[in-house]
Amino acid sequence: MDRLVRMLTGLVRGLAGLLGEQRRDWVHALLAETDDQPTPSARLAWLGGGLWLVAREVLMNRIIQALAFTAGAMALVWIAWPGASTNSATPVNRMYVVGTLVLLAGLPLLVRRYVGPVRPGWAPLVIRAGGYAVVLALIAATAVQQRIGGQLGRYFPVILPVWAMDVGFLLIIAGYVAGLLILTCRPVQFTRRVLPLASGIGALTAGVLYLLAPFGIGDKAEAASHSLHGGPVVVADYLVLACFVLAALAVPVAVHAVATRLADRDTRPGILSPARQALLVTGCTMATAAILVALFTSITIALLPHHVPQQFGDGICPTCDPSTIVIPPNLRHEYYFEESVSGAGDDASALWFVPLVGVALGALRGQLRYPPAATRPDGFPEGA
Amino acid sequence: MADRPRFSAQTLSVLAALEADPTAWLHGYRVAKQTGLASGTLYPILIRLAERRLIEARWEDEQPAGRPRRHLYRLTSDGLVAARTALAQAVPKRQPAAGRAARRRLATEGGA
Repeated sequence: MDRLVRMLTGLVRGLAGLLGEQRRDWVHALLAETDDQPTPSARLAWLGGGLWLVAREVLMNRIIQALAFTAGAMALVWIAWPGASTNSATPVNRMYVVGTLVLLAGLPLLVRRYVGPVRPGWAPLVIRAGGYAVVLALIAATAVQQRIGGQLGRYFPVILPVWAMDVGFLLIIAGYVAGLLILTCRPVQFTRRVLPLASGIGALTAGVLYLLAPFGIGDKAEAASHSLHGGPVVVADYLVLACFVLAALAVPVAVHAVATRLADRDTRPGILSPARQALLVTGCTMATAAILVALFTSITIALLPHHVPQQFGDGICPTCDPSTIVIPPNLRHEYYFEESVSGAGDDASALWFVPLVGVALGALRGQLRYPPAATRPDGFPEGA
Repeated sequence: MADRPRFSAQTLSVLAALEADPTAWLHGYRVAKQTGLASGTLYPILIRLAERRLIEARWEDEQPAGRPRRHLYRLTSDGLVAARTALAQAVPKRQPAAGRAARRRLATEGGA
């Protein structure tokens, strides 16, 4: 009987290793009192309760996470996988589906191994779950948008540069997922409320910018460019562009200032230095804003393709081989509709460019706030 | 309307055990003995109460001879208020049932 008790103790202790630090403490508390039980059978019953506690905690967390991911993955496959063989977007969409699911399933394992496990608390879990939902929804909406814009497949051939851009898009998404996982893992400790605040400001910025340009600013940038070359000037387009530029410049500076102020007051050990925290959350805010704007515009285009601002040309297919193929007159309306839909929204470059602008501005403000000479080796400013 | 915490009968028994002497630190086995709850029921309740900051937990300071250090629990000030409120509300709810049982007992004994 004692041997059985020892075995069960070892099993419970071993399984407790799968739990987070706080939960593990409770299991150790239970184990510490095993010997108080008066008889071996009572000890076994006590340990049986411990086994139930561990199993419940481990299984509940893992099963809920696995079920949520499986549901998201199935929804993505259901939305993005189908497509006619004549549709030029079908192979690209399938590459998106496979690539995204591999990234979302594989990157947490790599980050856990090389950086660390998820930070305890509700905020990192909510941010991770939200980030995963955004990525899945963005890929699904992009696939629908591309499918609508690729029905005349022979006039939208997927040439090598297009494949390269699509792979590049997936690499940018990989960067986002990796950033999300790293910012929410245990070794990267932020001051309380800084990360949720940064994500919230990013989401708010995205909401405002989306309302200003629900189909993206691509057509507005083009119109502004034409007006510089003698075309008509549309003041509204300039105003919308100015709002986007203002947001790209002002939001990082404001977030950096707020994050610095909050982090400066936090002297707990193990927390990232205020300069690093401010820089990371500034990038996080801009990345949140960029990916949410991309998501909102992609969903709008996918749901309302006939409201996308139309582009017209001279009836020649520029990506066909040879590039002088003329679109038959009866297909031109459909061709330009599809080209407008597939090209609408803000292209993937905004997804990497905007966070970089944020980080650059944050770094600049950090240099002004913490000049190198006034910074201690631990990153805290002198006198902080 | 204020959002009052609702507790199961088992949680109430744990709160009652801790409320009996709110200043004392009790260990899990003692709470289990007082409440009659199995460890698999007791510890999830303690975890939930600690997460809601109704109880505080700490390890024994000194390493005792011959046994591991115990994890100790007691009610926080919020927990004491919540426990007293919940226990006070729970007593009137039990009274009708107790009254029915008493009436039945009296009837079978030929009284009333």
